[in-house]
Amino acid sequence: MRYVVAGYVIVLSILFLYGLQLVWRRRRLTRAVQRVVAGDTAVPPGPGREDR
Amino acid sequence: MSPNHNVPTSPAQSFRARWTTRIIGITAAVATAVTVWLGLWVTPPDETQGDLVRLVYIHPGVAWVALYLAFALAAVASLLYLWPRTRSLFWDRLAAAAVEVGVVFNVCTLISGSIWGKPTWGVWWAWDARLTSTAVLLVLFLGYLALRRVPAEPEVRAKRSAFVALFAAVDIPIVHFSVLWWKTLHQGATVLNPNLSPTIHGSMAWTLLLGFVALTLVFVWMLLVRYRIGVLEDWLGTGELDLALRERQAEGGSLDEDEAA
Repeated sequence: MRYVVAGYVIVLSILFLYGLQLVWRRRRLTRAVQRVVAGDTAVPPGPGREDR
Repeated sequence: MSPNHNVPTSPAQSFRARWTTRIIGITAAVATAVTVWLGLWVTPPDETQGDLVRLVYIHPGVAWVALYLAFALAAVASLLYLWPRTRSLFWDRLAAAAVEVGVVFNVCTLISGSIWGKPTWGVWWAWDARLTSTAVLLVLFLGYLALRRVPAEPEVRAKRSAFVALFAAVDIPIVHFSVLWWKTLHQGATVLNPNLSPTIHGSMAWTLLLGFVALTLVFVWMLLVRYRIGVLEDWLGTGELDLALRERQAEGGSLDEDEAA
């Protein structure tokens, strides 16, 4: 039975950790995109910015 | 930095997409939990294999996802990318997502098979046709992922990746038919055999079927999330390494500002 338990634990752990890593990567990239979008739109028009 | 691809910006669209992914993820987690419960506690031990049969509820499932869903999907998507009338980076991103998830499932296939093989055959690994062709498949698709990391224009990267995916996919039927073409230690197909008459019945069959469904849902969820990552990376026009460097530079910049203040 220990082989069975080891098989389940290893396979499910790999899938769980990979899934967790996917969520972390997506969140990180989403934040990066939000920063870029905010940077593009939040630039207030002012002196020296007319050429942008 | 020039964003070169559309990111869904409509709140309704992104809300729908987020909830669809979330519902699939929750369903996959519940189905996997039920499979584990049925597989470990409810189904009876096998007459000849004893408790080792319980590994069969996950091993064919992960193999099914890797070979018949992930890598086959990557091959079809690559073909559609190469076909001039359907050429779109959508297919390239889908193939890349499918291969990455498929590699994870392929690793799970080899590990779970090896754990079943040790008490059954007496060895962790045998240079058997099924095992070897599955390992070759893993190496081929690892090569595909390595190739994608070589810096290139998106179209160039997509084209050469598609060719490699199609080349690697030639191994899929070899893996499937290896148990018929050669004398192997690995048992023949339990469900997808030439007669299409499953050799497993009762609660064991239902648990096996649920395992297939659960792992398919896990694959779909991972594919959706990984595809989204590809879209975001393309939109930023950067790889993850560049992003990490940029974040470090930003942190360094803010530290310098603090020190100056």
